[in-house]
Parts: sequence; C-alpha cells; structure tokens
Amino acid sequence: MTTTEAAQVEWAAQVHDATKRYGKGDSTVMALNGVTVGFQKGRFTAIMGPSGSGKSTLMQCAAGLDQLTSGRAFIGSAELGRLSEKQLTLLRREKVGFVFQQFNLLPTLTAGENIAFPLRLAKRRPDKAWMDQVVQTVGLADRLDHKPSELSGGQQQRVAVARALVERPEIIFADEPTGNLDTHSSGEILSFMQTAVRDLGQTVVMVTHDPGAASYADRVLFLTDGRLTGEVMAPTVDSVLAAMRQTVA
Amino acid sequence: MLRLALSNLRANWTRFLATAAAVVVGVAFLAAGLMLTDAVRVSLLGSVEQQYAGVDLAVTTAGEFANLGDAGESVSPLGADSLALVRAVPGVVAAAPVTTAEVRVLKPDGEAVSLRTQGRPWIVDDELNPLTLDSGRAPTAGGEVVVDRATADRAGLRTGSTVVLETPLGERTAKVVGISSFGRSAAVDPGGTVSFFENEAALVLGGGRVSWSQILVRTAGGGAPVTQSLQQVLPPLAQVVTAEDVVEREQRVLNTFVDVLRPVLTGFAFLSLFVCAFVIFNTFSVVVTQRFRELALVRAVGGTPAQVRRSLMVEGVLVGLVASAVGLVAGAALSVGLQALLSRFDVPLPGAGVKVTTGTVVMGLVVGTLVTVASVAVPAFRAGRTKPVEAMRSSAFDRSGTSKVRLVLGGAALAAAVGVLLGAKAGALPKALLGGGTLFMFTALVVGGPLLARVFSKLLSFPMRAFGLTGRLAADNCARNPKRTATTANALVIGLFLVTLVTVSGTAVKSWAVSRLNTLSGSDYIVSSRSGIPDDVVAKIGTTKGVEGSAGVRSVVLRPDGGSPFIVSTTDFEQLARTSGVKVATGSLDTVANGDGVAIIDQQELLKNLLGDATGQDLAGTGDPSADPGATIDLGGTTTKVGDQVEVPALDGSPVVLTVAATLKAKLDALTLGNLVGPSTFARVAGEQPVRFVFVRTDPSQTEQVGLRLEQLTRSYTTIDVQPGNFVGQFVGQALDFLINAVNALLAMSLLVALIGIVNTMTLSIIERRQELGMVRALGMTRGQVGTMVALESVLLGTLGTLVGVGTGLFLGWVLVGSLGQGISLNVDWGRIGLIALAGVAVGALASLLPTRRATRVRVLEAMQPT
Ligand SMILES: Nc1ncnc2c1ncn2[C@@H]1O[C@H](COP(=O)(O)OP(=O)(O)O)[C@@H](O)[C@H]1O
Ligand SMILES: [Mg+2]
Repeated sequence: MTTTEAAQVEWAAQVHDATKRYGKGDSTVMALNGVTVGFQKGRFTAIMGPSGSGKSTLMQCAAGLDQLTSGRAFIGSAELGRLSEKQLTLLRREKVGFVFQQFNLLPTLTAGENIAFPLRLAKRRPDKAWMDQVVQTVGLADRLDHKPSELSGGQQQRVAVARALVERPEIIFADEPTGNLDTHSSGEILSFMQTAVRDLGQTVVMVTHDPGAASYADRVLFLTDGRLTGEVMAPTVDSVLAAMRQTVA
Repeated sequence: MLRLALSNLRANWTRFLATAAAVVVGVAFLAAGLMLTDAVRVSLLGSVEQQYAGVDLAVTTAGEFANLGDAGESVSPLGADSLALVRAVPGVVAAAPVTTAEVRVLKPDGEAVSLRTQGRPWIVDDELNPLTLDSGRAPTAGGEVVVDRATADRAGLRTGSTVVLETPLGERTAKVVGISSFGRSAAVDPGGTVSFFENEAALVLGGGRVSWSQILVRTAGGGAPVTQSLQQVLPPLAQVVTAEDVVEREQRVLNTFVDVLRPVLTGFAFLSLFVCAFVIFNTFSVVVTQRFRELALVRAVGGTPAQVRRSLMVEGVLVGLVASAVGLVAGAALSVGLQALLSRFDVPLPGAGVKVTTGTVVMGLVVGTLVTVASVAVPAFRAGRTKPVEAMRSSAFDRSGTSKVRLVLGGAALAAAVGVLLGAKAGALPKALLGGGTLFMFTALVVGGPLLARVFSKLLSFPMRAFGLTGRLAADNCARNPKRTATTANALVIGLFLVTLVTVSGTAVKSWAVSRLNTLSGSDYIVSSRSGIPDDVVAKIGTTKGVEGSAGVRSVVLRPDGGSPFIVSTTDFEQLARTSGVKVATGSLDTVANGDGVAIIDQQELLKNLLGDATGQDLAGTGDPSADPGATIDLGGTTTKVGDQVEVPALDGSPVVLTVAATLKAKLDALTLGNLVGPSTFARVAGEQPVRFVFVRTDPSQTEQVGLRLEQLTRSYTTIDVQPGNFVGQFVGQALDFLINAVNALLAMSLLVALIGIVNTMTLSIIERRQELGMVRALGMTRGQVGTMVALESVLLGTLGTLVGVGTGLFLGWVLVGSLGQGISLNVDWGRIGLIALAGVAVGALASLLPTRRATRVRVLEAMQPT
C-alpha cells in the first residue's frame, strides 16, 4: 500500500492480496494476480491499464459485484467475502453507487425517477435539499420529467452520475463512464465527478483507458496483466502518458 | 438461404424451442383426438366382428336390434319358449341366447369393481361363444359364474372363489368357476363381463322374467331354408337376419357414435391450434425483433428483403415440421394417458393403445406446419423491411400498434360491433347478424388490442402501486410493448371468452329448462327399472314406512315395424290418482279402468307446456309477438279426441283397436305412462309384463327419509333406480351441467396454450432485458424484488386477458341469451364467473414461474457486458 499518512487514513474500500482466476485448465486467465490497494475516502481515483489488464475485474470485485478467487475485499469495515448474497445486495443499495458505460437507466422511468431509484428500492425518502443540489450540479433541473429515450447520451450519463450521488454512498464506482461519449460530454461528466469529490466530499473510483479522463482524478493506478505496476499522484495528461510509456516498456 | 436458416436455428435453438412448444401442444391435441377416435373405432368395429365370428344367423326383434344402445323398456318377443323353438328347427346346429344387464361385482370391502359390468349368459357352443376360458370351466348350474380376467384381477377372484353380485334380481352369491377373456382384451364389455349359466341368466338378468335380446344360431349348411323355417316358428315381431347384417348394422351404429365424437374432439383441437397461432405469431415476432440487428446486418452486407423474408419463412417451415412431428408423438402419449385417466374414473374407452393412421400423421404435419408458416408470415414480412441502419439502433420501446389510425379503426369497429349486437338483441336488427357481430367484435379486439393493453396497463398501474416500486415497474413493462402484450393476452382472451360464454348461456338455458320441466312433475318418488321390478319389491315399497300410496305400473314399449315407440301401460287406477300428477283433461277414466278404453296425452297442452312462454315467439318459428300465447298451435299432425279410434300393435303382431276414452294433462307422469289402458286390455296387448315404475306418494313430513329407505330397499338391485318426482328436471339439469363442464374442460386446452404463450413472451423479454435486470441488481434490487416484479408483470398479463375475455364473454352471453326469448333470463352465477376469472389470473401467475427463475438468475455483471 502506498501511502504516507497511514495513521489517520480512512478507507472507503480496500482489497488485500486479491487474485481472480477465470476458467480452468489450459484456458485459465489470471485477471487479478496479487493486488493490494485501498481507496481513500474523499478521493477521486482512476484505474488505468491496457485492455484486458484486469481493470473491470478489480472494480467489480472491490464493489461486491463479483467474488475474488483469493484475498479479501472491504467496503468500509465490511468484508465482502463474509456477506451473503442478500447482505451484499443491501450493501450495494446502501453504500455503493454505480455508473456504467451503458444500460444505466430504466427506460420506463423518468430521469427524476431514475435518480431516486436506489432510494426508493431502500424505501428511503430522498433528502430534498441534497437532491436539489445534486440535480443543480449536474444541470438536469429542467429534464427531470423526461424519459431516458428523450435524453442525449451525455444527459443520460449525467442522470446516472446524479443517481449515484443522491444516495450519498460510501463510494461510487464508474466503469468507463465516458466510453461512449464525445469529448465535450465527457468533459462535463468528469468535472461533475470531480466536483462531487472536491466540493461534496464523495469518493469515486473510475476505470478508464483515456489519459485525459484520468487527469481529472487525484490519483491514477496502473494495472498490467492483473498486477499493480504504477501510480501517479495529482496527475496531468502528460504525467499519465509518461507513466503509461514507462509501464508498457 | 436454407444454410442461413439452418445456422440460425442452431444458434438460436432455445428461442425456437419457445415457438415450437406452442406448435407441439396444438398438434398433440389434434393428434390425440384423432388417434383416440381411431383407436375406439377400430376396436369397436373389430370387437363386433369378433363377437359374431362363429355366428351364421341371429334372431332379433323386428325394427330394431334390441341389444344395441339403450333399448329402453322395449320388450323382446323372444321369451322363455323361443330358445327351445329355435333349437328344434332342423338345420340349427347350435343356438345361444343373448341378453345383458348390469351386474355389480363386489370387492371384499363391499365396493363395486365397476358400475358398468355386464351380466351375460355363458354360451355353451364354442364356435358361437366369442369368449375363451383362460382357466377353470364353464358354468353348468345356477350359482356358478365365469368372470373376465380384468374384473377377476381387480376383485381378487380366482377359480373357486366366492363372489357377491348385485343383479337386477337383488344380491346373490356365486362361485367363480372360470376366468374368461375376449380375444386379446379381457372382456366384451368395457366394464367387465360376468357370465351366468343359461337358465340362471334368463331369470336373474331379466329381473325375474325371461326375455332374450338375441338368439345366435349356427347352422349346418347356413342359408335361406333355415331362415325361413325359423321365421315360421317364431312370433312375427321376431326377425331372422344373417350375421353379416347384424355386424354391418351394429358397426353402422358404432360408426355414428365415433362420427359424433370425432368432430367434437378435433373441433376443440382446431380451436387450440387457432390459439396456438397467436402464440406462435407472437413468439416469432419477439424472436425476430430480438434479431433485428442481426437481420439488419444481413441487409447491410447486401441481403435483399426477399432473401431475409425467405430465410425466416424457411425457419418457420423447419420449426413447424419438427414441432409437428414431436407433437404427433406427444399426441400418442396423450391419448394413452387420457385412456388411463378415463378408466381410472370408471369410464373405460373401448380399445387400448395407440392407433396411428397415415391420415393422422399427414393431418398433424400439414396442419401444424401450415399454422406455423401462416403465423410466421407477418413477422417475416416485417423483418424483410428492416433497414440496414437499424443494425446500429437499440430498441427499448415499441410503440407501434398504438397509432392514431389503429385507435380510430379499433374504436370504430368495436362500437359498430357492440351496436350491431345490441340491435340484434333488441330485435331492431335481424338475429342473423348476431354471428357477424360476434366476428366483428373479435376483429375489433385484435385490431384495438394494443390500445386496450396500454389503457389497461395504465389503469392497473394504480392498484399495482400497492406493491411499491416493483409493482409500478411491472405495470410499466406491460405498457412497454403494447402490441406484444395484446397478442399474448389475446391467446388467453379467446379461451376465457368461450368458457364464460358457454357457462353463462349454458346456465341460463339450463335453469330455464329445469324450471319448465319441474312444473310438470307430480309424484314424490318414482322407482323404476328397465328390466322390471320384482313383485316382492313392489309390495315392499307399498309398505315402506312413510309411504302413503304407491302405484305400480306395468308397461311395455311397442315398436310397430319401423315406426316410433309406442308405450302402453296399466296400473291400479285408484292409487294412480293418489300418487301421481296424472290428471284427466277430457273424458273419463272409468271405461279405461274397466273396459277397452285408452287414455292418451293431450298433445296440444304438452307442447304448450314444454315451450311455455317462448311459444308464439321465435322457438315456435312464428316470429309474431302479437300472436295470442294461448292460441292453438298447429302441430302439423292430426289431433286425437275422445271417441277416436286408435290402433295398437299387440306384442304378437296383431293389431288391437281401442277407443280413446280420456285425454290426460301433460304432466311428466302422464308422459311416462304413455297410453293408459285397463288390466284386461293390457294383457291382451302386451301379455304378462313386470312392473316397471312405481309412483310413490309420501307423508310430506318424511319425504327425505322415505327416499333413503327406498334406496336402501333397492340397493342390491342393479337396475332399479329411485328418483325424486322432479327427476327429469334434475336429470336434464345434470346433463346440461355435464355438457357445460365437458365443453369447458376441452376449452381448457386453449388456456394451456395461452399459458405457454405467456411463458414465451415473458421469457423472451427477460432475455431481451437482461442487461437492465443486471443493472437494477447492481443498484441493490434483491433477487426477491426482481422475482416479484417479473411475477407481477405476468399476473398483469393474465389479468388483462381475463378482464377482456370474461368481459366479452359476459357481454355476448347477455346478448345471446337475451335474444333467445323472454322466457330465458340471464342469472349469472358470479361465483363461477369469479372462478373462471381466477383461473385466468392463475394462468398468468403460473406462467411467471419459469421467467421469474430466469430473471432472478440474471447475473449482476451482465449489466457491464456490452452486447
Ligand atoms: N467472465 C469472464 N470469463 C473469462 N474471462 C474473463 C471474464 N471477464 C474477464 N475475463 C478476462 O480477464 C481479463 C481481464 O478482464 P477485464 O477485467 O475485463 O479487463 P479490462 O477491463 O482491463 O479490459 C481478460 O483477459 C479477460 O479476457
Ligand atoms: Mg473493462
């Protein structure tokens, strides 16, 4: 674990010595191979690496969507391997927010209903002031009554981000949230996530293969063949590119 | 294109399984119906031939073959002496009497093996006897019987066992001396056969009086001379025919039976195939929609619309052929299963096993494939129009089917249909339009279906909110693709519509008929027996506690050669007046009781009574509502008045002329009596006859107990029935109830198909939505919540189909019953309608099991896997 302030650090999520193996026999793939990493509260972390390096696997295992082959994963103080399927579901509902690359929204619900969806699943009342603030921040105030099919791709992703934020989770996981967007919309989404972390105190972990996207984060982790191979703090596009060249070499 | 089609089938076989399931079920029902009737026919016809294999000539009653079907109380002229007469004729090598009567074989626990076991005389001559002995020997004295091997097995009997039998002459104990079989089957009679020693059979089976229904004859050289000598020694009403004639005529009767059974069964099978067409159409549409991108890709790389279309049609043909073949096999299994089921309920069908004819195979394959291809044509045509760009589109909604044009068309058609039906009901429009209006209404339902589906899902989404978010989402999902929802629900609509209609209008007709008939009854109980009630039993009825009066009626049904049956009866006239509803309309019974007068039924009144209020209306065909209901109706025949002469054919064939002395009011009792004569006249016409009815009048405070006592008294006499005075009403009511239930049971097939339809649609849309389901699972929807959501969606589909189906059924029932005439009123049994509705909703709930399983198994990670 690479940290200098070990004493007072609070971890939103961590994995210890994580391995994930797919398949059996000859076709075995080690998607994660002894990864230990922590995601600090109130930080924006980006995970980068070449395609097939295990980014999505790491994120899914850390978020409790999939189980590790060996090693341990925590969200807050809860060890995921010890939870039942039902407890995991409730944990995701209460403590984790998600933004996917696509298929983020329920087509029959309006934008506003989609945003409130996890809260309604938990039968919790949305905090009106917080909801308003989130909706303001992502700039959707006048679009709340629209169905997803009436929104652009960028707007749909903004709804997804708002949904992740509105439940005030311990941590938000985003897997290539801008993968399907143009540069302009990407920029918007990334700034919202940055704002959410800096101004609203949220924690975000984002998988991306775009150095530009990674530069919005506070910290970038590099993954190669299922191992952590590098880290850049306070990244810029150039420092990320430089680090990429180094890890590939 | 065949290659493309084949590779598609291989790649998407699970989806085609869904389409195939509907075809399989439809063809299976059709095939089972055909195979069952074929099996019954072949075995019936075969068994007739086998039965007469060694027979040269048969002596029967004239005009009718008395051992066929329900001989009623008709009396055979073949009495005690006839057998000896036949045997004495030169050229006759062997003669064997035939008669059958119900006999019950009691198991050690006192229960009957079957209610359909028949007693027969054992035929001594080996060639005349169609039965063979498996073990033991033939009965050679009274008290000895041979039992067929199936009955023996079921009652645990062996040669040497003692068995208790219930017979027309009461309970008897007999010794089993042999076990018989009939060719490859156990017995001639589906319910089993008990064979008695000839002399004993004569008395026991005839209820104390010898009366053969047939005498089978084997001749030395066969042929005409023996026939002639037989005819000379026998009474004129006896007829001598060749065995071939008997076989041919019996087979003709049996064929009629099968000919009635077959169209009924296949009719219902075709109905379920029609429902299948909806399901196939829908399933295939969904499959095609899901493959839109793939089809668009085919178009993008240069496939022409015609090629896409042809490839899909080829898929349809292949699926149809394979599924029809599977359906034929399933049908064979079904027909075996049905036979087993029926015999468990003591309704064994003659002939066991499967009878597969080329006709059935061809019919199943052709019909199944045609239905599939026809249902596939529309989706295939639509797929041909897929634009190449659609390869890039993702489709979450399909709002097609809710266009303005459809709204206007569907709405207008529905309004017009309702208008026509209401007009026809009120009499403003000709009744002939009822059929057209009904068809029209269906078309409107199909065209306007998607619209109804949307409106209903919207309306139902309010009550669904009680289930919280999951309920809301379920309602939303139903409205998502209204056309698909509507087509799925339509399969259910058709079945429920027919069930409701049959129930509602059937019940209305039933209660009308029963109430009409009940006004006609007179006595408290009628004890009756086809073969006659032993005199000591008649006497005991009279002395039963609580019986205030009883009139034993001796009667006989005479059938003038080729003519209609003619009942002649006599009784104690004083008792008759006290115990029955028989009332004199004109004339007097005095000369009837003591002279040669005859009392007949006032036919004018009879018709008026039976048709009641409806006469003068449409049932009588006059169509003139202004006609005086009391006006005389021309029956087309001549009316008999007091003083007229009637000619009655006596049992020995000579005509007896009687004078009409009275006409009787048309009560049911009078109908049972037929032509009432005095004892001496009766003896002249019919000779000596047993009592066949006893009219019983009870102490009003004990009516029910008397019924039980009479039951007890006659319990061991298999042919004696104790019926309440209003039994005809009860019987007709029960018969109609049975008919309604039987029709509904057959209609239930279509509900099964609808169930498959819902399973298909739901399963396919789950596959379609798996990423969405993965997403909601990731966001924290529990498996249970996902399951509830899918189950509710399926229940909603069921409810939609139920509301429309039952609603339409009720409406049409109301229209049809209302248009029948003023006498019939619609009193809906809401309990039953509630049950039908429940069944519809249950179909939805049941259909959700599979899709729900599938949905809850969607892995969370599917949300992240791009297609
Ligand atoms: N469900 C799976 N079954 C088998 N192998 C998988 C599965 N998911 C991922 N993999 C393999 O695991 C490795 C890592 O995948 P992933 O985490 O998706 O990489 P990334 O997101 O960095 O592109 C890849 O080699 C991939 O092929
Ligand atoms: Mg990935």
